[in-house]
Amino acid sequence: MSYSQEQIDELKRYCTKLSALTEGGTFFFHLEELRLPAGCSPATCDALLCPTAKDGYPSRLYFSALIVAPYPKNWNVSGARIGEKNWWAFSWRVDLASPSLSQLLIAHLNGFIKQ
Amino acid sequence: MNILIKLTGLLHSQMLDDLRRRHPFAAERVGFASGRLGTLQDGGRLVLLTRYQSIPDDQYIDDPTVGARIGSEAITNAMQSAYFGRQAQEGVFHVHLHGHHGKTGMSHTDQREIPPLIPGFQSVGRQAPHGIIILSLDHGSVWVWLPGNKEAIKAASVATIGAPIGVFESGVSK
Amino acid sequence: MSADRYSRQSFLGADAEERIARCTIAIPGLGGGGSHIVQQLAHIGFQNYIIYDDDRVEESNLNRLVGAKAVDALAETSKLHLAKMMIYGLQPRARVQAFSCKWQERPEPLREGQIVIGCVDSYKGREELEIACRRYLMHYIDIGMDVHGKEPPVIGGQVILSSPGGYCLRCMGFLTDEKLAREAALYGNAGGRPQVVWPNGVLASTAVGLAVDLVTNWTRKGRSHAYLVYDGNAGTVQNSHTLRNLNAACDHYPTVEIGDPIMTEL
Repeated sequence: MSYSQEQIDELKRYCTKLSALTEGGTFFFHLEELRLPAGCSPATCDALLCPTAKDGYPSRLYFSALIVAPYPKNWNVSGARIGEKNWWAFSWRVDLASPSLSQLLIAHLNGFIKQ
Repeated sequence: MNILIKLTGLLHSQMLDDLRRRHPFAAERVGFASGRLGTLQDGGRLVLLTRYQSIPDDQYIDDPTVGARIGSEAITNAMQSAYFGRQAQEGVFHVHLHGHHGKTGMSHTDQREIPPLIPGFQSVGRQAPHGIIILSLDHGSVWVWLPGNKEAIKAASVATIGAPIGVFESGVSK
Repeated sequence: MSADRYSRQSFLGADAEERIARCTIAIPGLGGGGSHIVQQLAHIGFQNYIIYDDDRVEESNLNRLVGAKAVDALAETSKLHLAKMMIYGLQPRARVQAFSCKWQERPEPLREGQIVIGCVDSYKGREELEIACRRYLMHYIDIGMDVHGKEPPVIGGQVILSSPGGYCLRCMGFLTDEKLAREAALYGNAGGRPQVVWPNGVLASTAVGLAVDLVTNWTRKGRSHAYLVYDGNAGTVQNSHTLRNLNAACDHYPTVEIGDPIMTEL
């Protein structure tokens, strides 16, 4: 799967460094020091955005740490091993028709601020 | 520092099969393998060999004073491997075979001729490991130059992950 | 060590004892399956172990945890300690690297192994272990059992060999996106799975047999993959029918994914 340079440049605005990782046939964007919504602690952390179907979700956003969020979240991925690091993700389904990468990212981050 | 080498049994067989072939005039054959790094505990490193490149017969130079001498085209191809391997941090390993059983090491000629190739590979593939592999019919020894290192480290063991598994220990303490 | 000790397994080959002694084997998980495996490996003569488990013996383990006694449940003995005692009791000179945690918390030691025998209880866990084994070139032998249905209950299980360059759990039809998705949907609600000692024993023994064959090649089969299905009601272990539909080669783990992951900056 390929993404336009425009979409990739848009995604870069949310983090300090954007990289690509492929593992076991799945492609991930690695976002270094992704800025999280207000009220999250820590305020930034590394993240993996999987823009394709994974583990029963149409897309997934993983975090390098367990985030303290404004509202309780169902962290149904705890210490999952991807790219030889451990990741956490809360249950949040994003159903958008053909979103851009940054739209997808924002939709996932919105999960923190929704009850 | 502890360095371990791993390669699949299939890759090991490919190397042996190639290196055992008779050459029209050289007494030995040479090849180049590609390798990547893995992190072990306590600062140790794993070198995982991924591919093997045979050297065509016509890229050897007829020099009866040594077992095998490869020409500039073979060296250039190896340097290209180092260049194209940069993104994957994949380095180049000079490989040849001593046709006996048991542990093996570098001959005087090997020590004189092969290490001088390494700085060239390092200058092209700075973040990759490079080195020297010497196989015997049932053993192997590997010297690794880690990124940025001027000195080689002898690997503690070489493991071929096939059926059967082979584990060749060098005697270097882990 | 007396020369008689391994005389009954001389059919494995003249150099089998030496090969077995040089091999390093990792067992992440020392429960019902892992405890059987450790016992058998120690009997056979394996000397180099990398073992992980962060759990302690409970009363409910005593129906299947090999080596555990009633006093261990009272004392809450660690499963790691049980495994070490099992190994050292048979192989006093063994080199045992023991980690009281999940392998994912200390993944580097695992990579020293040539064989990993995984007794994990989730598809996700198996996927993660297989990825690590493909990255760092290790044979991966997976075992698992389950009991389902009621009239009568059905005991099933599997032993799978996934080797670098060979067919993987996906190729062999064991791991699928559907299974992973169903499991993810049940997160936290899976409950305690039924577990009994004799199917664990069958599966563990089959796995150890595969491991010994990988080290000694005594069957001369030169296996690069295996998928054996256990029918606990019929008492059979057979090749999975999915092996009839294998692709030409595995394309799930390209060579570019060997070694430490490389993030390509965009």
